[in-house]
Amino acid sequence: MEFQGKMHAENGVATIRLIGEVDSRSAHRLNELIVAAAGRTPRRLVLLAEDLTYLSSAGLRSLVFAHQKMGRDVEIVLVGVRPEVAETIRLTGFDRSIVMQEAVEER
Amino acid sequence: MRKPCVLIVADEAAGTTQLPGLAPALSDGGFDVRTATEDEVLASDEPDGPDGLLVSASLGLQRVAMLARRFAHLPAPPTTIVFPQDDLDALEACVRGGFDYIMPPFLPSLLRSRMSSCWERGQLAGAVEDMAAEASLRAYERDLAIAHEIQSGFLPEKLPAPHGWDVASRFRPARQVAGDFYDGFELVDGRRLGFVVADVCDKGVGAALFMALIRTLLRHTAEHTGTASGSGDDLPPAPGSMNMAEAGASLSPMLSVGAGPLVQAVVATNRYLTRNHLRQGYFATLIFGVLDPASGALLYINGGHNPAVLQRADGSHTLLPPTGPAVGMMLHSSYALGHASLERGDTLLLYTDGVVEARATGGTLFGMERLLTALSGPVKSAETVLSGIDKALRVHVGGAEQSDDITMLALHRSAV
Repeated sequence: MEFQGKMHAENGVATIRLIGEVDSRSAHRLNELIVAAAGRTPRRLVLLAEDLTYLSSAGLRSLVFAHQKMGRDVEIVLVGVRPEVAETIRLTGFDRSIVMQEAVEER
Repeated sequence: MRKPCVLIVADEAAGTTQLPGLAPALSDGGFDVRTATEDEVLASDEPDGPDGLLVSASLGLQRVAMLARRFAHLPAPPTTIVFPQDDLDALEACVRGGFDYIMPPFLPSLLRSRMSSCWERGQLAGAVEDMAAEASLRAYERDLAIAHEIQSGFLPEKLPAPHGWDVASRFRPARQVAGDFYDGFELVDGRRLGFVVADVCDKGVGAALFMALIRTLLRHTAEHTGTASGSGDDLPPAPGSMNMAEAGASLSPMLSVGAGPLVQAVVATNRYLTRNHLRQGYFATLIFGVLDPASGALLYINGGHNPAVLQRADGSHTLLPPTGPAVGMMLHSSYALGHASLERGDTLLLYTDGVVEARATGGTLFGMERLLTALSGPVKSAETVLSGIDKALRVHVGGAEQSDDITMLALHRSAV
């Protein structure tokens, strides 16, 4: 499915909802959303991933990019990741740099 | 036959009465005439455009150009022609700006002849533009072909095959250039065989540039590092990386011979990439193995890569999962050494995700299960293992387009 993403930021939390497939064709659009999110200098970046159906290595590169762009003090939380996508992230070891949650936790 | 359609856009401010007979003359000349205001044209989301766009020069060159651009995306954009609406200076400005024009008196046969010559000229200009676009596309394709040639030079011409072993490989980029690579080379004066299968994230030229860098760093470091004692180690260990002495201590002296080059190559490459290129976000998942051909002992690091498959002579499988994260992804990544032993008749398969993620027309992935099924028969040679997988892939993928690079490397130890 075609990738769709939406970003909004409030109270120091930037949230991006990811829908569809992030691959080499759509990764640049996720990067743009990440740049927009970084512009709001949030404390946390929350990626809502329930509807993220596929994450290619180009998509994983976007997450690495987000990690770089946000700086090490900003926590990146991936919420509701599907098992196949979680497996892609775990395989490469990037789960050490982000937090993966089943649902949004209030803090 | 359909009448050619002409859309007239007048300048309302100049007063539409100043168009003596334009629309009727066009109708008489055999055109289907429509009129619209500037705003209507710009706001319209109609998918089709007219054959000809007649715009009042009184709108000024910029607004005329804007109206012409409104239809520029169409496969056959209309020819834009300006006409004077009581302001000849404005007409001159538009003509200097490259637009064709018509002048009163507007008589049907004169208009028809004028319009058709404007059309022909417009089509000619379009053809010239297409030719220029095609020429630049050809230049781009030539550059890519050169990149393809250069990239082939970063792959081994021939894989070393020690006595009692045979080695085979596949390399099928999805595009002209690839982010995948494989390598095979002798280490420690020929006492060990080093081999690599790696997948640089993303695709295209960017991935290909990083492929050249990562392949070179890995191979150069491995070839120029001494044995596990660390005596030939000219790089201080990075914080968080595996301690060389510790890595060696847990292994028998025979195994540890290849450990130094292996650990050093992966750790140093990760350090170099994260220190110098983290901003660009390129990383590689890889398996780097060091084999003792005499004993079959294998040391490896799996940096975030798909598990290698060790197929035993009896048909059973062992997977070699990651022992550390992808290379170039995070500072201070640590890598553990994995070890395994290849007995007579065993086969080791390394591959990239292009194999397990190959999609059928309906979108179904090839997957690990199909890969293991393809590996279930008795093995004659590394080559037959790969051609068996090729066949299973072809059956699965059918007519679907290959979307990712496919790379495989197989090592088989002869049964006798």
